[in-house]
Amino acid sequence: MNRILKEPLLHFLLLGAGLFMVYGLMSKPGDSNAPGKIIITQGQIEHLVDGFTKAWLRPPTSEELAGLVRDRVREEVYCREAVALGLDKDDTVIRRRLRQKLEFISDDVAALVEPTDADLSVYLQAHAGKFRVPQQFTFSQVYLNPEKHGKNLARDTAQLLAQLKQAGDKADLSLLGDAFLLDQQFTALPASEVAKQFGEKFAAQLSGLSPGQWQGPVESGYGVHLVRVSERTEGHLPALAEVRDAVRREWDNARRLEANEQFYQNLLKFYTVSIEQPAAEPERKIAAIK
Amino acid sequence: MIIAGFALLTFAAEQTDTGTADQATLEKVMPTKPAYSPYVGRNFPTRPLFGDQHLHTAFSMDAGAFGCRLGPREAYRFARGEEVISSTGQPVKLSRPLDWLVVSDHSDGFGFFPQLMGGDPELLATPQGRKWYDQIKSGHGAEAAMDIIVSFGQGKMPKGFPLPGTRAYRGAWQEIINAAEAFNDPGRFTAIIGYEWTSNTGGNNLHRNVLFRENGAKASLVEPFTTMKPLGSDNPEDLWKWMAATEEKTGSEVLAIAHNGNLSNGRMFPTVEAFGKKIDREYCETRLKWERLYEVTQTKGTGEAHPYLSPNDEFANFEIWDKANLDGSVPKTKDMLEFEYARSAYKNGLKLEEQFGANPYKFGLVSGSDAHTALSAMEEDNFFGKTTPQEPSSERLTKAFINNPKTGVTVMDWEVGASGYAAVWATENTRAAIFDAMKRRETYSTTGPRMAVRFFGGWNFEAEDANNRLPAALGYTKGVPMGGDLPDAPAGKSPTFLVAALKDPMGANLDRIQVIKGWLDAQGEVHEQIHNVVWGDADKRKPDAKGKLPPVGDTVDVENATWSNTIGDPELITVWKDPNFDAKQRAFYYVRVLEIPTPRWTAYDVKRFGNKALPGTTMKLQERAYTSPIWYTPGT
Repeated sequence: MNRILKEPLLHFLLLGAGLFMVYGLMSKPGDSNAPGKIIITQGQIEHLVDGFTKAWLRPPTSEELAGLVRDRVREEVYCREAVALGLDKDDTVIRRRLRQKLEFISDDVAALVEPTDADLSVYLQAHAGKFRVPQQFTFSQVYLNPEKHGKNLARDTAQLLAQLKQAGDKADLSLLGDAFLLDQQFTALPASEVAKQFGEKFAAQLSGLSPGQWQGPVESGYGVHLVRVSERTEGHLPALAEVRDAVRREWDNARRLEANEQFYQNLLKFYTVSIEQPAAEPERKIAAIK
Repeated sequence: MIIAGFALLTFAAEQTDTGTADQATLEKVMPTKPAYSPYVGRNFPTRPLFGDQHLHTAFSMDAGAFGCRLGPREAYRFARGEEVISSTGQPVKLSRPLDWLVVSDHSDGFGFFPQLMGGDPELLATPQGRKWYDQIKSGHGAEAAMDIIVSFGQGKMPKGFPLPGTRAYRGAWQEIINAAEAFNDPGRFTAIIGYEWTSNTGGNNLHRNVLFRENGAKASLVEPFTTMKPLGSDNPEDLWKWMAATEEKTGSEVLAIAHNGNLSNGRMFPTVEAFGKKIDREYCETRLKWERLYEVTQTKGTGEAHPYLSPNDEFANFEIWDKANLDGSVPKTKDMLEFEYARSAYKNGLKLEEQFGANPYKFGLVSGSDAHTALSAMEEDNFFGKTTPQEPSSERLTKAFINNPKTGVTVMDWEVGASGYAAVWATENTRAAIFDAMKRRETYSTTGPRMAVRFFGGWNFEAEDANNRLPAALGYTKGVPMGGDLPDAPAGKSPTFLVAALKDPMGANLDRIQVIKGWLDAQGEVHEQIHNVVWGDADKRKPDAKGKLPPVGDTVDVENATWSNTIGDPELITVWKDPNFDAKQRAFYYVRVLEIPTPRWTAYDVKRFGNKALPGTTMKLQERAYTSPIWYTPGT
């Protein structure tokens, strides 16, 4: 059953049937001159009362209600006649609104489908990049401000690196390098956070460093850094249960876009589209619609 | 000034002058060895979280009329760093994700636009509704949008306008909530639920964004406060009543952030009366309780200081909008300015506190974009405009944004600023942590770049603290952060401040840091003074006798829309002591950080479209950050 529910053709048929019904309701009754029927249902009357109450903060009097109903009948007559006269054609707002309504219907049909865990797992695997837990780094860094070293930057960096290598993990960082607003030690910082704080360039270089020793210089937007990565946790794809809500959100969105596109493509099959090309201006030629 | 703190040849054993007394205190706050558990750690914020608390989508009636077709979900997608297609069909992506976002659509008329476009008979029966419908239909949506804003400001909206309680209204609010719930991802990206209350009577801007601390289940218990009577009101005091009732009803704290005092025509920061009522102690206390922050910069101009009010401030003339109120219906007069800008509000707040015992203008600073495109794209080289017609195009440099034929007030599109983002020193990236940091005003405002700015005040900071490798830990140990209050003054001491800024990792170097002080003297007069406290290229730049610093220079190549970081410094840090402190005088101190000059969005436009800007168009700027103040109150 689930399989059938997901079948685009079924959606298409459902929509088609729906549209047909709408068309049937909207069109004039037969070819005869018999009068068309307008029925104002109890539900519609309740709706009128509701709207009035919200706007005026009280229910309508019986006279006002009679007025509302009279107006509703008038609206119905005018609507039917206006459509019969084709007044809805070539009206940008009505056309946009109709398109939007149909898009809403196709959105809703897409939303009807409840994905199984298997569906979501497939999506998760196929779009691993969206959900991956990024690489994490536990590292120390010492900063050198280029403004403070000028021409001696390379020499000072090399000297500091030699000293850090000698001290290894016993170096007292609180006294080394230049004062810097960001921390010197980070524990299990995701690569995306490294990029936010130090910039993309620095983050990219960090993943190339082998853990355990002082290395550098590593450049950032601020200047140069000497870095010791003590631990690197590789990124991984989380289990579905950990990210189910996010996967569902993205799956819904992908499903919606796909269903809308499929719906459009199916409708488009009923039409042959020809576009008149401007003869004089070849650069404004319009590509075939697909 | 600081001494360069390069300790290349010194090791711990040989070095004692960073203050061993501090070391023990520091280790408590921040152990030098990482704990086994990565979650054990510091109890203070370590990184500013950048976001936007002011963004409109197609759900706002004017944004819809302007042609915005993207809703709250697309807004969150974009802010999270994904590529989206804009309403004008252009692909767009941020240089890097934001950390948080508030979608703040206008509460008046949620659902108005779909209703109008759907040809609602009641709306179309009105001459206005008919006119807007026809305008939009014939491709003049921008004119319709301006007219809707004006009519709204003048209280002339047509019958049939959707009100709270209607299905269209509830549906729109619920979708705004649902979108925030779907994209809120604690620890990575925070979606805060909110809306804008758009009090605009007579075209005078008194708008406020309202933010919820808690989740959608609680926010759904109420519908937003509107300005249309009888359900709503245009008086901020009624909004505060609604906020109190909302906290009671939902169990969620709320706060309000006002913006664009520059378009309020002297009504944003009143000192004598508001809405026909005298300012009194209750007004001061209530405003202080609900309005903890102010949006000091956004696309419609910057509201920190005005050159007329601060003639000695060489940087006050920055992205100023001072021609009129929001719809251009009443031109500006100079006497209005004092009640529109943050710095003068801070000064008048000291007076009101002296008078009533409470300071209504003790607010912190944030930025917002106020974009009506669902795109918080405020980078100069990636600016997607304030409204949909202002998305990138070869025409946007030459069109008018506001044009009031009656008064002749015109504001051009090029005057719109690519500004800005709000930085919040929250302990973690969650709704609660961000909201709490906002409430304690530990925030600052930037005109777009993501520089990190620290500002601590206390009585015992010493010059060498600027060389410390753990300035933040030291700051919290020895002082209070931005947004806080200095504790009682020890006899004979002057306040000291640890001030630091680090450039945007992708951005321009820094020109200087300034501390701006305001105070109330014994005669009841208020004053302000600007101190340059630390600057780039300090080996070459020396202040003159009056403390004025030579300009940092200018590397901008307007034609190619480029610059180079060959001037200025990537980082500035110092300890500053107030040289003129009087323990009997109320005072406030806040920080302004300036970047070196860079190309403005207008320069990138000319470069990319190969067109011409109008004469007089500003083509470069010095981006900046403004922190929340630290206040001093005698005898506290």
